Amino acid sequence: MKVHVNMDICLLHGQCVIAAPEIFSFDDNGDLHWVEVIDDSQVADAEAASDACPEQAIILG
Amino acid sequence: MTQDSIVADNLPYLDISDPGFSIRSSEVMRARELCWCARTNYGLAVLRYDDVQKLLRHPKLRQGSYRWPTLNDVTGEFARWWESMLLSQEGDNHSRLRRMANPAFSPKLITTLAPKFTELATMLIDEFAPKGECDFIAEFTEPYATGVICELLGLPFERWRELADIAADMGLALGVTFKKDLPTIEAATRRLFDYVEELVEARRAAPKDDFIGMLIKANEDKSQLSDQELLDMIVLAIFGGIDTTRNQLGLAMATFIEHSEQWALLAEQPELGRAAVEEVMRVRPTVTWVTREAVEDFTYNDTPIEKGTTLHLFSQSATSDPRVFDDASFDITAERKPHFGFGGGAHHCLGHFIARGDMTEALKLLAQRLKNPRFNGEVEWLPDSGNTGAIRMPIAFDPA
Ligand code: HEM
Ligand code: HEM
Ligand code: SF4
Repeated sequence: MKVHVNMDICLLHGQCVIAAPEIFSFDDNGDLHWVEVIDDSQVADAEAASDACPEQAIILG
Repeated sequence: MTQDSIVADNLPYLDISDPGFSIRSSEVMRARELCWCARTNYGLAVLRYDDVQKLLRHPKLRQGSYRWPTLNDVTGEFARWWESMLLSQEGDNHSRLRRMANPAFSPKLITTLAPKFTELATMLIDEFAPKGECDFIAEFTEPYATGVICELLGLPFERWRELADIAADMGLALGVTFKKDLPTIEAATRRLFDYVEELVEARRAAPKDDFIGMLIKANEDKSQLSDQELLDMIVLAIFGGIDTTRNQLGLAMATFIEHSEQWALLAEQPELGRAAVEEVMRVRPTVTWVTREAVEDFTYNDTPIEKGTTLHLFSQSATSDPRVFDDASFDITAERKPHFGFGGGAHHCLGHFIARGDMTEALKLLAQRLKNPRFNGEVEWLPDSGNTGAIRMPIAFDPA
């Protein structure tokens, strides 16, 4: 599965980092990073992050 | 309530504990032009959009409200709950609790509730609409906000009064008379916990995939969500969901009464309901500020901020900042940058899908049924700071 964050609407709340820390993280500058291709074992976490995102900025496909 | 000022004396000063202080005053606007922040009698106030945006999620800051009981020299059952619940937690503990609660607040679950919101709003409007007048708070926003929580908890609507009364007594804890009201607050806290415990027992006996059912599922692994944490979370949803929604819908009505052409537009184009909620929360957020506290010394915008300093992030002032909103007048069709009415960062409101959903349904219906609304007597307001709103709002309208 592919993970994408629409950075035009992401407000860096970090709810994705809380929900799925293996997929999403902040670096020391506070920029958001994520694993772009995940395996089946991580899909549930990615969906939890996508649900939790207040701006609904996470696209899974 | 004083805190030694650690910043240069040339910053503007705001007396935020003066009962006459208004977050929308020209004094605040003047301060916002002079500097990004002001000194207050309790730490700093942050005034501009970009700075509120950054500081809401600044790694050197934590949520500031956890100290509220200590500040008021209060201990007991309310204080225990307040200090252990989600909003007061940070770091790993906060993340764990938030992960456990997320499924119960997910947009999927909320979507299934939307028809119930419509039903509830219709029922309440049907009651008072034929009269052509009402107290908008007592007859609509309060039963509606509480009814939504009843719906979420799987309680019949008839229980709303009971829940509203307990929440109101517990809410005294947020006022200046916290300590004096402590016996009432403690009694209400115990009643609410008893009530919630009963609810959980009933759901355990008759499992269901609803809000409480989802939290009970998380509670199966007690190391992730203990029995006490399960109860604390449900109490927080009740405590944090009622007054906020009641106040925000009252502020919405007041704003639309002052902009009648926008109300007419919403009635014609109900699909603007969602945008109307966002625009109301930009110009009149009920939570006019959230607090953060410095966990270590740091420098921001060349201003040294000492460990322990409280920062009041003025959402109200930030989202009327002319640097970002060149025409800041109320317009539900305008494309806007996001408001901070639900806070931001790790503590971003967990109930926002619910609140956005129920307020959208309510405003759409109200605009269609209540034409030409106007004030019909004295409106009674909470102070125009902290968590604000109306407690009585007589209105008249032409029923449609
Ligand atoms: C460290 C935490 C906090 C500080 C330093 C603080 C400070 C203040 C100050 C200075 C005022 C002005 C009126 C007064 O003197 O009381 C105020 C008002 C208010 N605060 Fe807080 N506050 C804190 C936490 C909270 C929390 C957690 C809430 C609720 C969620 C809250 C709700 C309110 C409300 C509703 C008002 C306006 C109502 C009134 O004046 O009675 N505050 N706060
Ligand atoms: C119009 C209605 C509402 C408004 C304006 C509102 C506003 C807020 C704000 C500003 C915060 C963040 C406080 C901070 O950062 O210091 C917050 C947090 C929270 N809200 Fe809401 N809220 C509303 C409705 C609700 C509802 C309906 C629920 C539950 C059913 C709810 C549950 C929560 C919870 C659990 C938190 C704590 C989140 C955390 O600390 O991680 N809220 N809310
Ligand atoms: S939760 Fe959403 S808005 Fe927040 S950082 Fe993640 S993607 Fe961005």
